[in-house]
Amino acid sequence: MEEPTDAAVIAASLADPASFAPIFDRHAATVLRFLVRRVGPDAADGLVGETFRIAFERRGSYDLDRPCARPWLYGIATNVLARHRRAEGRRLAALDRLAGRATAGAPSEADGPAEAAVARADARDLWPRVAATIAGLPAGERDALLLYAWEDLGYDDIAQALGIPVGTVRSRLNRARTRLRAAREPGAPGGEQPSTPTEDRGRIGL
Amino acid sequence: MSDDLDPLRRVRPDRLQPDDPPDPVVLAEQRERLMSAIDQNVNPDTGRRFPSIYPRIAYRDEMAAVEFLTRVFGFREWRESRMENETGTLAWLEVGDGVVMIGRAGPDHHDLSSPDDIGGANTCMVNVYVDDVDTHHARAVAEGARIVMDLEDMFWGDRRYEALDLEGHRWHFGERLSHVRERLGLDDA
Repeated sequence: MEEPTDAAVIAASLADPASFAPIFDRHAATVLRFLVRRVGPDAADGLVGETFRIAFERRGSYDLDRPCARPWLYGIATNVLARHRRAEGRRLAALDRLAGRATAGAPSEADGPAEAAVARADARDLWPRVAATIAGLPAGERDALLLYAWEDLGYDDIAQALGIPVGTVRSRLNRARTRLRAAREPGAPGGEQPSTPTEDRGRIGL
Repeated sequence: MSDDLDPLRRVRPDRLQPDDPPDPVVLAEQRERLMSAIDQNVNPDTGRRFPSIYPRIAYRDEMAAVEFLTRVFGFREWRESRMENETGTLAWLEVGDGVVMIGRAGPDHHDLSSPDDIGGANTCMVNVYVDDVDTHHARAVAEGARIVMDLEDMFWGDRRYEALDLEGHRWHFGERLSHVRERLGLDDA
């Protein structure tokens, strides 16, 4: 037998609240991963519960024409994140330091899988500026950008999650990309890490 | 998908530090809390049960209201439940087994008004039973509440007074006279 859609589960939970559980079971791991990426594991643990509690309370306003609840949940989680901008800033700073350690060359680096090595190389070159640029984006642009690039949501899903028209998603992404490109130009402003011109040339050479 | 955002994709935090899988213990715990909240209508942050009716009261300055209501009327805030964002703060204050929700007034906030916005008018009054209305009254007077009905024993069996808070919401504080007599050791008299 086919599994009922999220919409069907939510519709049933209006009369029978306890039947809401599959919504958590299907999507909580995804939502938790999203929250961890944005604010780190310590803050994310509680926020995943808060996200689903709010989802439960608002289930009456769920658009039952949408079979999959994931974009809706991403939207609620994004709203929850709005109250934790400081934690998000700390997370970006922590990753900045992580990228810095990769530059210093940990002993285990050579043993890591190739993909991780590539990631570290990218991080070494790009992360400080990218992190500063992400941190400096208007919240609406950052939310759209990271839903697109980190969560692999399409324009329609982002529009639904953020409650904005698709055209607005498109323009927010365009603006964010322009800023990211500008930040990656050699000698671009916005890199928070102080560095001498010589070091800069060395980084770009990699 | 491959485009100019690839570098951003590759620095996704869990790719940079891939020993970060979602924790099944966390998920199990959060599921448990959610389901128990759904079953019992309990606030999972505090483990406390919400009363079936609890009013939301609107203020122009909701944080000043929280400060006033806790200092002057002795309400206790569920500090762990406080929700703050750019458009205002929501707070929950308890007295005995009752709860009020404190939020900002305005068209974007459920269209609720503060009396200060509408010429001091009130459209409701919240009645609160307290353990010792004499002490409660003395504290409210000392802390600067505007008393609009003096402390008095009423025919229906309460000792009560009424006061306005900082933005003019009207509060009624009472104690059963039988409880007053018991408290003062007058039960046998």
